[in-house]
Amino acid sequence: MNSVASMASSSPSARPAALTLSHISKSFFSRGQTLEIMRDVSLTVEAGEFLAIVGPSGCGKSTLLRMIQGLEPPSSGEVRFSAGDEHAAKRGFVFQRDGLYPWRTVQRNVMFGLELANVPKIEARERALAMIELVGLKGFEEHYPNELSGGMRQRVNLARALAIDPTMLLMDEPFAALDALTREHMQQELIRIADAAAKTVILITHQIDEAVLLADRVAVLGARPSYVLDVITIDLPKPRSLALKRNPAFQAYVDQIWEMVTRVESPIERKNFETNDRLA
Amino acid sequence: MVISTVRRATSGRPPLMRTSVRRGITSFIILLAMWEIVGRFVLTDQVFAVPFSAVVEAAIKMLASGELETHIMASLAAVAYGMILATAVGIVIGVLLGASVTFREYAEPLMTALYATPLVAMAPILILWFGIGIGSKVATVFLMAIFPIAINTSTGIRGTDREFLEVAHAFGARWLDVITKVMIPAAVPFVVTGLRLAVGRAIVGVVVGELFGARAGLGFLIFTAGQTFDTPALFVGVITLALIGMSLTLGIKAIETRLTLWKGSAS
Repeated sequence: MNSVASMASSSPSARPAALTLSHISKSFFSRGQTLEIMRDVSLTVEAGEFLAIVGPSGCGKSTLLRMIQGLEPPSSGEVRFSAGDEHAAKRGFVFQRDGLYPWRTVQRNVMFGLELANVPKIEARERALAMIELVGLKGFEEHYPNELSGGMRQRVNLARALAIDPTMLLMDEPFAALDALTREHMQQELIRIADAAAKTVILITHQIDEAVLLADRVAVLGARPSYVLDVITIDLPKPRSLALKRNPAFQAYVDQIWEMVTRVESPIERKNFETNDRLA
Repeated sequence: MVISTVRRATSGRPPLMRTSVRRGITSFIILLAMWEIVGRFVLTDQVFAVPFSAVVEAAIKMLASGELETHIMASLAAVAYGMILATAVGIVIGVLLGASVTFREYAEPLMTALYATPLVAMAPILILWFGIGIGSKVATVFLMAIFPIAINTSTGIRGTDREFLEVAHAFGARWLDVITKVMIPAAVPFVVTGLRLAVGRAIVGVVVGELFGARAGLGFLIFTAGQTFDTPALFVGVITLALIGMSLTLGIKAIETRLTLWKGSAS
């Protein structure tokens, strides 16, 4: 990722697509009823970009991420990774509830993906230690998840995903369960880590300000059955910091997305969006 | 450590023993004292009851002659071999029951029925099959111990947090990885509970097996003591069994603590 020049000013189509979602629809069947949660979603994710997907609760944005990971098949449509490159499909998944194994230490949790890939032990350990340091948990290698705070557990969750050296990082509302202060701190940390790791990142969030702060582009989904309302390019300089939240241009983006969402949402769904009024 | 300093400062002197332990020991002492009094002054017929001191005396005599040791070793060997076999086979069956729906549908009703059956009743036929020696005792212990181990393991495997499985799938785990790296570790607390239940049943198994026919063992000791109206020796056998049961349970508790260190509270 470019560090200083504003990414978004370059034309989006100039970079190669890492992932193309074409006409994705998804329905669930339960108790004899069909619940259509997503209709005809098409998106292109460029290599190296940070894409945030925002949408109200229950709009299926997490399901969309699970389909990209391959944990669930779409009902129709296609998830396609840039052809020819076998590593193009290597994805690191950051879970909403951290999903750490309580019987494994921090280090062995981070090594989990490497173990599955039969990476030699010494190499795996080195790689894990580097990732633990990257996420700022040096010194906690031998701790068990039960001994860590929510923010620290999410750091381990992130380190575990990064350890397999994915080309793409899929993050499913990773900070949703954290308190406001820790969340802001983790946002700042994610800016640093994503920059250092230089990955394509897809972040699911229901926090508009989080999306604007972190992303090069923000895809806005509507409520069930959801579809892409718009994809907004965030033309703000990088690297970013929390101070940006006080910038009028930042606030303009937040307002623009907020407007877009409230225009189409029913009043009941509207409350599912959060903006950060404190900094407004 | 700061915490221990604070604790000591507030409670003055650290107590010699935890209150719960002290209370448990107190009731043992009361029971033994009552036994001594009843045996000495109330029921004086030496066949029906003997004072506790007579039992201790008999135990010392049997220890000195090496007789008690022979019986203990015979019974312990049968329990050990039977438990090792039951643990190995029980965990494998438990994992299969938990991980394979097909296997579960075939085997679970049978397993549940056998678990509820008092299989010690099989001891006489097992002696016919495996002889009067240790073989039949190992078989009885095995039959008694395997079901709680298998069924508890299966419960643990099936109770594996869905998110744990999802993480494994997201990182590309194959089915064997899912079983060995996720399901089995997640099931460990259940497996250990199964072991604890199994130990109690294993001891019942070995004693009943020895009652029906043996050359040595605590069950054999109890049987022959009963036949010869040697009441002190009979009680030596029973109390030794109780002590063995307690030690094995404590041993499994220690294993459990060791295997579930990660459950330790937040620091």
